[in-house]
Amino acid sequence: MASNALGLFGGPNAALAAAGKLKGAGFESLDLITPIPLHGVEEVLGKKTSVIKRFTFFGAIIGGLSGFVLAAGTAVLYLHPTGGRPIITFPPFLIITYEMTILFGILATVLGFLISARLPVLRERIYVPESAVDKFAVTVACAADDDFKRATEILREAGAEEVTEITPGSGR
Amino acid sequence: MQRRHEDIKFADVNNDIVRSLVETGPRYYVTLAIAVLITLACFFFPWFYQLYYGIGAAGMNHPTVWGTYLASFIFWIGLSHSGTLLSCVLHITNSEWRKAMYRSAEAMTLFSLMVAAMMVMVHVGRPWFIHWALPYPNQMELWPNFRSPLMFDVMAITTYLTGSSIFIYMGSIPDFAAVRDRTTGWRHHMYVLLSLGWRGTDTEWHRLGWAYTFLAVLIIPLAVSVHSIVSWDFAMSIVPSLHQTIFAPYFVVGAIYSGTAGIVTVMFVLRKYMNFEHYITKVHFDNLGKLLLALSLIWTYINVVEVFTGWYSNDSAELESLRYKLFGFYAPLYWEMILFCAVAPLLLISKRFRTSFVPMLILSIAINIGMYTERFLIVGTSLSRQYLPDSWGVYVPSLVELSILVGSIAMFCTLFLVFVKIFPSVSIYEVKETLPAPDEGKTQWQATH
Repeated sequence: MASNALGLFGGPNAALAAAGKLKGAGFESLDLITPIPLHGVEEVLGKKTSVIKRFTFFGAIIGGLSGFVLAAGTAVLYLHPTGGRPIITFPPFLIITYEMTILFGILATVLGFLISARLPVLRERIYVPESAVDKFAVTVACAADDDFKRATEILREAGAEEVTEITPGSGR
Repeated sequence: MQRRHEDIKFADVNNDIVRSLVETGPRYYVTLAIAVLITLACFFFPWFYQLYYGIGAAGMNHPTVWGTYLASFIFWIGLSHSGTLLSCVLHITNSEWRKAMYRSAEAMTLFSLMVAAMMVMVHVGRPWFIHWALPYPNQMELWPNFRSPLMFDVMAITTYLTGSSIFIYMGSIPDFAAVRDRTTGWRHHMYVLLSLGWRGTDTEWHRLGWAYTFLAVLIIPLAVSVHSIVSWDFAMSIVPSLHQTIFAPYFVVGAIYSGTAGIVTVMFVLRKYMNFEHYITKVHFDNLGKLLLALSLIWTYINVVEVFTGWYSNDSAELESLRYKLFGFYAPLYWEMILFCAVAPLLLISKRFRTSFVPMLILSIAINIGMYTERFLIVGTSLSRQYLPDSWGVYVPSLVELSILVGSIAMFCTLFLVFVKIFPSVSIYEVKETLPAPDEGKTQWQATH
């Protein structure tokens, strides 16, 4: 049956090494739960790409366009001619464009972050409170009992201080 | 209890910072009560008085129709500049020493922006029409005039407030999660919501890292634009000594300058009263001191340029305005500003001065007094000497205005006092990054750089 093996490590290097070994043994669904962002995760678990940059980029473009449309559009809707100067004046409207570019860029980045990091959490997920203090956890999803045994062994060999089984929704 | 930075363990960081949130002594409550009382008595009471009896309760009158309210507005916007801006710049340049102090610096940004927004409310006289500054379809078919620097202000400050709140919140999510596990009752529920269910998986850290960096990159040009725009409120008028091209960099440098001095003040208070002695150390004061010195030199240079260009123009109105600023009614304030912001900071050349806490505190407060004076002079002296002598006058703030100035400081303190009990005021996870990892001698950072 499907379950998760969880190994708690005392330091980042041991946890990373264990994750590398599990990856080498063919486990795909691996998570490191750590109190600090680890350097070198990508060398072990493979390169990560995120969609956040696309959100930022297109958010900023949409913001810029809507900023200019806002300033120019309202100027056209409410005509206020001053000394024969053009109704759509670029220098001041570019400032509005600039501010709106950044505003929408920021908001889109937040949206991209929430979507790509799958936050906020709506259903219960595996969590170890110690990992917010000083323990480095490796969790691995195992499809069958055999896999679970194999994963447990690998975690123990790598020097895990504690190895436990977690079934999703068990409350741990 | 003096520990060396290297001796701190990961668990100590959690303990110390959670303790700063949940253990509250009587001293805190007394301070908070005083701050709230002063805010009510000195800010809200005079404001309601002014609303009831009319804007005449403030000393502003023709020709000086802008007074301390706008000076305070520029001052608070300026104070907000160092927090998020400095934090972003130091994040992008990978500066280690940022990590212990940036959270409270960002909070300073947020709260001074809020106080600045309140100052606008007070200044406009009829704050119940403030929504007229927003572009929305209304029954009058009127739209705001986006050619006006005042509208640039509305857009820039809204964006900056949004950006700064998001930046401080996003950086705090992992810390909220750490605090969530250690608290009970209403605090626990609050942190459950604030942490969004953060677990600290490698994917979450990766996404947070990217999003945070993108935000930093977006906020740096934003912060620079905000104070440039505030300067255009003045520089785009044709009043002598306001109509200057140097105003945008002048304001931005002044803002970062007073903001950095504000950070020194806040760091001193946090260090002393929240027992963060081993997180906020001499290194921080030394670095902030160097930054202050550099900024004071740039600020002095721009001041010299401002006076020089005024003199070199040989324009009679400009010359009179300059003479009035340097030797007129407000001259004592001008020379006080030069003393506090250009001369006194030269002490920072000495390392011994930079690493002494109390002298740094005194200097940082002096710099901010000087910077407030600068803003007052920009508004006050320029409008007091316009083109024709019949539009000359002298402006002295009324009691209502002075009281609201004191009240705004108390309001800032109140907001900050509430902040230190809700947000971990030193970043838990980033301080841990600067510590040796449990299974190796080196820090994560040292191992990869």
